[in-house]
Amino acid sequence: MTEQTVLAITGASRGIGLAMAEHFARKGIRVAGCSRGPSQIAADNYLHTQVDITDDKEVRGWIRGIKKAYGRLDVVVCNAALVPPAALLLNTATETLDAVFRANVNGTYLVCREAAKMMLLQRFGRIITVSSMAVGLHSEGSSLYAASKSAVVEMTKILAKELAPSGITCNVIAPSVYESSAVANLGEAVVAHALGQLTLKRALTIAEICNVIEFYAAPESGCITGQVTHLGLVV
Amino acid sequence: MLSQEKAMTMIEDSIAGLRRAGLLGADLAVDGGLVLLGTGSPLDSIAFVTFITDLEDRLNGETGKDLYLVLTDIHEFNTDNARLTVETLARYLVKLAQQ
Repeated sequence: MTEQTVLAITGASRGIGLAMAEHFARKGIRVAGCSRGPSQIAADNYLHTQVDITDDKEVRGWIRGIKKAYGRLDVVVCNAALVPPAALLLNTATETLDAVFRANVNGTYLVCREAAKMMLLQRFGRIITVSSMAVGLHSEGSSLYAASKSAVVEMTKILAKELAPSGITCNVIAPSVYESSAVANLGEAVVAHALGQLTLKRALTIAEICNVIEFYAAPESGCITGQVTHLGLVV
Repeated sequence: MLSQEKAMTMIEDSIAGLRRAGLLGADLAVDGGLVLLGTGSPLDSIAFVTFITDLEDRLNGETGKDLYLVLTDIHEFNTDNARLTVETLARYLVKLAQQ
């Protein structure tokens, strides 16, 4: 990515999304972040919009705003997600089920859809969705989160096929433990259990995560689509 | 105010853009009866989405407004008439521009 690249990141006000946005903004890339809350980043090359990604009108407005500001959209990272506290399936409330799927599946779906429309006009684009180690671990208490992230993987692979003729690639990054508030929300026992099952038994750095995004975003990665990169875990 | 003729021209320009982008295999004779979506349409799904997105851009540029094309709002294009023609779409654009 260069200083001409326009990179959009959802969920950019905290956790891994904030760290990604800061990382790429520091590198001079034009970053358009969104979240339900206000921006945490003050930089000339960072544009923040408060967006509820489960609302299709707000998502369309956000993407249109990026086009107005920068004239294009090269890369979108669908990072925003709800991470529910660990709970057995038997103890999971219907309201929690709905909220997690609305944010993690519907929200990602809408952002991919609207970003792809803009990328179709450019005949170029990189769509990167974010899955999780939870998909490969099958840990007790993670059924809801893991199911939502599995849906993201499946959706991305199919979208990759649909958009392949249009110069747009769609790939998934599946980070393992990164020390964020969202991961902490899973609970100490789940995090300790997860670290214990990882191939690399340590937390990831943001540079390691962003390295995969840069790899997917590179022009030379145009033949890589529908792939999932797991970080720190052999699946 | 957007006229029906201007709306038709915008549609024609968008279709020409599809041809230039390689999304249409051949030139199309654009008239009011040309089917854009539904049985008989020469546009595949990717071409149609690209067409609508481009047309939305043109409409916003023409009107200076922030408008969205919503196919389900086109009352003449429904389950009883599941084919969207240039003429129907042009009428919808005119109506949308009046908002």
